[in-house]
Amino acid sequence: MRRVTLPPRPDWVEQVERLGFAFHTIDGETYWDESVAFAFTLEEIERDIEGPTDAIEQLCFAFIEKALDSEEILTRLAIPAEHWGYVRDSWQRGERNLYGRLDLAYDGRGPAKLLEYNADTPTALFESSVVQWDWLEQAMARGAIPRGSDQFNSLHERLIAAFKDLREPSPYRLHLTCVQGSPEDKGTVDYLADCAVQAGLDARFTYIEELGLLSDGRFCDGANQPIETLFKLYPWEWMFRESYGKALAGSGCQFIEPPWKAILSNKGLLACLWEMEPGHPNLLPAFFEGDPRCATLSPRHVRKPLYSREGANVTLMERGRVLDSDDGPYGAEGHVLQDAATNLFSAEGKYAVLGSWLVASQACGLCVREDASPITKNTSRFLPHYIEP
Amino acid sequence: MKRSTQIGLGAAGVLLVATVWSMTSDSQEENLVYNSLSDCRAAGQLTAQQCETAFSEATATRLKDAPKFQSQSACETQYGANGCGSASIGGAQYFIPALAGFMLARGLAGGPAQPLMPPTAAACPPGSTLPECQQARAASSSSGSSGSSGGSSGYFGSRSRAYSTTTGSTVKAAFAGGSRAGSVSTTSAASRGGFGSTARSFSSHSSS
Repeated sequence: MRRVTLPPRPDWVEQVERLGFAFHTIDGETYWDESVAFAFTLEEIERDIEGPTDAIEQLCFAFIEKALDSEEILTRLAIPAEHWGYVRDSWQRGERNLYGRLDLAYDGRGPAKLLEYNADTPTALFESSVVQWDWLEQAMARGAIPRGSDQFNSLHERLIAAFKDLREPSPYRLHLTCVQGSPEDKGTVDYLADCAVQAGLDARFTYIEELGLLSDGRFCDGANQPIETLFKLYPWEWMFRESYGKALAGSGCQFIEPPWKAILSNKGLLACLWEMEPGHPNLLPAFFEGDPRCATLSPRHVRKPLYSREGANVTLMERGRVLDSDDGPYGAEGHVLQDAATNLFSAEGKYAVLGSWLVASQACGLCVREDASPITKNTSRFLPHYIEP
Repeated sequence: MKRSTQIGLGAAGVLLVATVWSMTSDSQEENLVYNSLSDCRAAGQLTAQQCETAFSEATATRLKDAPKFQSQSACETQYGANGCGSASIGGAQYFIPALAGFMLARGLAGGPAQPLMPPTAAACPPGSTLPECQQARAASSSSGSSGSSGGSSGYFGSRSRAYSTTTGSTVKAAFAGGSRAGSVSTTSAASRGGFGSTARSFSSHSSS
């Protein structure tokens, strides 16, 4: 794993915008940064990222089985009791999932370590799937990187295939939704709608604020069309607690991601996995705050709210002193403490975190984000990667 | 190779998928709506023969069942300017609401096609700013042509248009972006806006 400085394409803005990539710059700050790329060997990708990602997913499945039978675990994960049956049913019905992203600490030496699992509402998808793919082709064509380079990235074709298989019979009608006012979320959903259309689906967008409830209990879009299948870039923990939460179980709607993802998209997962497999090479020691075993953690550890997005409210502690933190609105449901990773890639005063993508529970892509702080936030820069020939 | 072999991007200005937006589901609760016989043919969901049958069923039902008025102005008070036409029924001259479209069950098992007429003044008062009323008024003032060109909707945009039935009830059809075929769900939303409040209160990211 090497951090390689490269000249950006002189017309990189035009090149990425031609793909429809609208949020390459966020709030005036560069987000897409092709002045640097990460180079991996094929062995690093397959042995250290792809393999462990698939292994962690299998561990997560084993954990779901265990959690669904345990009121204690569901309580610790702060899943409201009135939705336990709904979550359980979605798992027992075998409702399929579309995608997720494991965030990993990895510096090319030793096993990657799981920092968290964005199982429910991951973004950075379009830039991973399309923009860095196109960058690779052009970088090889202009000789910036060796011809014959490759990339860990079959996201696009996997997403199209996964949409076809999510529901039977296929093609089916798919609604997609996200909140108003977030270009990044809208860009992600627009891309997924594009994949869905290529999978032959009848894809329709509606903002989540427009969703309605029909008198027969089904959800409907802004034009009162009943919703049969809904991709929602909106967290389960919020949906459970909002006023339509009571209508979920009777709506007959198949959600993507399915309700059982609520068990994984929760930092409590980190403590639960460590409890199941203490010493697993790809896990960091982690416990729920208040657990006496927190005393066994390293002096340098991270405090994370159970529900948190984009690094919000994450605190890096060293011997009781706060080294770095990100403000945010999360944390009411409790926290986990996790050892700080000692294998975060750092160079030039920056820290890189790997995002390892799963589509339909198969590892199939990689993204790298870099930040001046060890907590990856929504302001981190996205850097392309390639596999050296 | 560890990467996709090709990326066909619809999005991005290169997105030509809007034309693929066919209605592929087969929900019995849904009805298809067309504003004209030519829209029905152009939408390609039914055969030309099916379109003609549906259109003639709707035309006949309108003459038989539509409200009848003695004067043009009495009719237009109910159905808006340019919303009425004259008809000779049983040798007498009447004014009846115009045929603004027709609706039929998607599954073709739902009986004959129903005529759709301009929305009543109760549903769409003069000057109403509801989008479905503006569509309806714009269409009827262009004197009954297909009215399918309106809408500055984007790729995902949908237009809605209000109609009335012979029994006086209001139906609202949704037209997916650029589509000549609308659809109506037989139930309407009993409530709206039950999701999204956490995002508003947090003003934070809902994704990661």
